[in-house]
Formats: sequence, structure tokens, C-alpha cells
Amino acid sequence: MTQTAIAAENLTYAYGKLLAVDDISFDVAEGEILGFLGPNGAGKSTTVKMLTGQLRPQWGYARLLGIDVASQPKKVQAQIGVCFEINNLYETMSGIENLVLFAKLFGVKDFDAPALIKRVGLDGRGEDKVERYSKGMKQRLMVARAFVNQPKILFLDEPTEGLDPTSAQAIRTLILEEQARGATVFLTTHDMYEADRLCRRVAFIDQGKIVALDTPRELKQQYGQRIIRAEVVAADGSLQTREIVLDRQETPGEIAALFEGERVVTLHTEEATLEDIFIQITGRGLVS
Amino acid sequence: MKLRRVGILLFRELVQGPKSFIFIFAVVVPLALTLAVTLIFGTLFSEKPRLGIVDAGSSQFTESATATDAFTVHAYASETDLRDATARGSVHIGVVLPPDFDARVAVGEATTMVVYVWGESQLRDRAALAAAISGWVRHIAGQESPVRIVTSVLGDPVVLPWEERLLPFVVMMGVILGGMMIPASSLVTEKQEQTLTALAITPVTMGEVFVAKGLVGVIISTLMGMIILALNRALGDGTVLLAGILLLGAIFSAEAGVLMGILIKDINALFATVKVIGLLLYAPALIYMFLEIPQWIARIFPTYYMIQPVIEVSQHGAQLSDVMGQLIVLLALIAVLGGVLALSERRQRNAG
Repeated sequence: MTQTAIAAENLTYAYGKLLAVDDISFDVAEGEILGFLGPNGAGKSTTVKMLTGQLRPQWGYARLLGIDVASQPKKVQAQIGVCFEINNLYETMSGIENLVLFAKLFGVKDFDAPALIKRVGLDGRGEDKVERYSKGMKQRLMVARAFVNQPKILFLDEPTEGLDPTSAQAIRTLILEEQARGATVFLTTHDMYEADRLCRRVAFIDQGKIVALDTPRELKQQYGQRIIRAEVVAADGSLQTREIVLDRQETPGEIAALFEGERVVTLHTEEATLEDIFIQITGRGLVS
Repeated sequence: MKLRRVGILLFRELVQGPKSFIFIFAVVVPLALTLAVTLIFGTLFSEKPRLGIVDAGSSQFTESATATDAFTVHAYASETDLRDATARGSVHIGVVLPPDFDARVAVGEATTMVVYVWGESQLRDRAALAAAISGWVRHIAGQESPVRIVTSVLGDPVVLPWEERLLPFVVMMGVILGGMMIPASSLVTEKQEQTLTALAITPVTMGEVFVAKGLVGVIISTLMGMIILALNRALGDGTVLLAGILLLGAIFSAEAGVLMGILIKDINALFATVKVIGLLLYAPALIYMFLEIPQWIARIFPTYYMIQPVIEVSQHGAQLSDVMGQLIVLLALIAVLGGVLALSERRQRNAG
């Protein structure tokens, strides 16, 4: 039976009069990757801070692995790994020194820093000072640091933000490896492609409220529409685009008419992206 | 609080600390200032000639010696102690008086006075002490000097030499820069670079972080204080007492530094704050420099209780009992700051 790794109930937090997180509730199962999506200022970071014990909820509670975060933050923090969006490594220390420091603080015995360095693709650079690393290398080291205690729950805040495709793909692979190990992953991201590929479920947060929470497939079925996009040669010889919305009664007739009346050059099916669905639900984009 | 984690954080601070500008500044500036002043004035500390006495018979010689302000007099229990003290420079000249010294001198019988001279002492100190010893012996023998010396002091008789006036300032700089600035800047930098947030999401508590950073300040501050005293040959018989006083001063400074680190958000604000409160921190030293200012005013400032015992012991040969009152005030200040820090840590824990 699947256990609940993260349970949030009526979490609420306000900065003065600004209600950053407004009475949100959700569960994340053990071994699940949950995508937490929303534009800047939606309340993602405040939620993560409450879940990781950095902020005490003003209302509601969060339980990680059955432990109340607000009353036993250190017990929770010993079992989680957090990768921040902003680089907060010790720049004057080497990559290996950074990892060893945190492993010691977590009380990890027989920690193999070079192996972890190799695993995140920094082989040969572990002894270099972090200040000499590129942005992608620093991000990989941040991810590695989140792994040092083999956490049961991983919080990853925009782990691939601003990275080149190779680095981003390497990090996505690492996330899937951690899930395979049994870790639960709470992934905060703007990247719809990433969320779609990695997450079993995604939660949309907007203005402090969770406005949708489901599997990407269910969300697309519920909110999105599939279309056929065709390029045809018009009567005047020009190339034109035709769109036919699928899953309607009229659809078969419209497709037949298309092939009978016009010369079809290309034909593609398209489905709504998570971004489209977010816009449809909230009326605004994710990167606003 | 786990000592193991404090040790890990302390080790990181000690290894990485010397790479920071403020760490270097805190170590180099007081040393450079000490060396510069030492070059100009010779030494910062009182150069009253120091006389050591082993007196087995309650001689008038000892009474006469201790009655004068011109010398610093230390009594020793045995000739071995006196020899050791002279060899390490605690006294410039050491005198051993036999039990029947006064009786023999009074009746004109031959007797022996063993005198040890510290090899590195200056000729002026030896000469002054030799002349005084001769006078005291003549007094015991009942001989009046054939010459009456009429002395007139010219210039301002109460003015302290500048090397003595500068002493508290240099010692305070060593103790305060190391003790206060190193923990404060380290905490503020970690806040600015958000490494403190990374530490906060580990089993490490903020209390452990504060203790580790404070300990670095305590270690550097105490060491700097001892080095400055040693450079000025002020470590003598009171070395252990001075180390203890400096340690208390360092703890007080480090607590203040950690508190500043908690309250201040960025390094620019830290420097601005230090500029503003610098005058208050160094006020006792500045007051000591200018004798026109009533000296009691210095007692208003907390740092007075940190520096005055050092001056009393190193300059005037004071013992623990002489400075106990000041140390009790210093301990009370340490307890108050410790309480404020504990409250701050608790507040942060409740917010987090």
C-alpha cells in the first residue's frame, strides 16, 4: 500500500496583508514526482519553505513522512534534500569539500564524494573551487548536495532553470534515478515540458491557491482540446493551414471534406500543453 | 546542541576564514599598529623598572621598595622562583635578602645580597634600580646621604607617556576586531550568499551555527590579545590571569558580534553600523588617551570592563582580587548578551 510522503492541510501564510499561500491542501505519495507549477509570486516558494521547515505555517499544517514539520523541523530536515533555485554553495570551497561538509552535518558515514561528483557529471572537477564552475556545473553540484543524505523526499526548485539542454537533460535523468531509488520528489518548475515528462501529477498554484491538481493526461483531457493541423494547397496555389478540432460529432465529416476538397500536404495531430491548460484555468501564463 | 556539528562548523570557519578580507584585516591591523607603535615608542607598556624581592626576614628594604611609585615590586617566595622570573624578564632585577639582613647592616657587619639581572633589561632600568637599592641599604644602616638632592618636576607631572595612553586602544582593537567583526561578518556574508539557508535545512540548528561562529571570534580575539601583550613584553607573572581576562573579553566581543550578525542584513550595513558604534566601543580607550576628560566617564561603557582589568594586571601588577569587581561586571554583561542571543535563536526557531 502506498504511503503518504507529504501531507499538507489548509496551509496558509501571509506576509503582512499579502496572502502568499491561501488554505491549500494536497498529498504526495511515496515515490511520486509531483510538479508544482505557477508563475512568479504564485506562492510556490512560500509553500516549499513551509514544507521544509523554513517557515512556520500561520494556519494549517504539513506532515512529511508522518512527522509534523512545524513542531519537529530538524527531524524532518534530516530526511529531506533541498535543491534551491539560487546558487548557495560555498564558493571558496571545492565541489568535494562542499559535499563532504554537508555529509558530515547530516552524519552520513562512509560518504563517497568522488562517486557522487561523478554521478552528477562533474568528474575531474571535484577538487576545483566552486567559484570556477559554470552555472550548469554549480546547478549539478547543488543537486548533488541535495542527494548527500540519500533523502526520502527531495525538494527541487527550478533545477534546470537557465541550463543548456545537455545539463538540463542530465539533471532530469538524475531526478528519475532518485525516484527509482524510492525518493519522493517535489518539483517546482516553470518548464511545462519537464513537468509533463517527469511528473506523475502536477499542481497548478495561482495567487496562493491550488487551482488544479491531477495527472498531466487527465488535465489535458479535462481542459485541453486535441486538433488536427493540416497544410493544404489552396485553389490559388498558395499554402494554407486548416485546423479541425477532434473528439466532436462533426469531426469525421470535417476530415473527410478536407481530403475530398483540398490537396493535403502535411497533417499533424496536436494536443494542448500544460501551459495552454494553465492559461485556460487562470487566464494568465506561467512565466508572467 | 551537538558538539560534533559545532566542531564541523568551527573547523570550516577556521579553514575558510583566513581567505576572507575581514579575517585578514582583524589579524593584520592590530599587529601592524602594535609593531608601528613599538617601533616609535619602544614598547606600549609601562617601563617602570621591575624589581623582584625574596625577603626571608621582613626587611625594611622591602618596605622602602614597595613604598615608592617609581618601581613595580614583586615579592617571591623562593630564590628559585626569583631566578626563573628574572630569566624570563618578569623583573629587571631580582634581590635576595637573607633573614638577618637588616640586623647585620645596622651593626655594620658584612653580609651578602644576591642580585639577579635580566640580560635583556635596559641600562636605564638597571641604573635606576641600583641607585635605589644603594639608598635603601644606606637607610637601613642609618647613614644619611651627604648630599641633599632637591628635585623639581618640569612639564605636566600628571601626563602619561603616549605609549601608555595608546595601550588600551591597541589591545581593544585586537580583541574587538577579532571577537566582534569576524563572527558578525561571517554571519552576514552567509546570509547574503544564502549559504545560511542551506545550513538551516540540515540537522544543524541556528544555535550551533552561532556558537561555532562565536568560537572563532573567541579564539582569534584571545590569541590576538595575547600576541599584542607578548609583543610588548607584558606577559609576566600575570600571564594566566591576563589570558583569563582576555578570554572573557573575547567572549563578550564574540557575543556582540554574533548579535550584530543576526540583526544586520548585509555587509555594507555592517560596516555602517561599526562606524557608528565604533566610537562607543573604543570610548574607554579614547578617554584614557585624553586625561583632560574625567576618567570615571569610561566606566559608563561596557568595553571598559573588558580592557581595564588588562591594564591593571599588565601595567600595575594587579592580582585577581584587585580586578574582581570589574570582572564581575564583565561576567554580568556576558550573561546578559548570552540571554539576548538565546532569545534571538529561539525567536528564529519559532519563525522557522
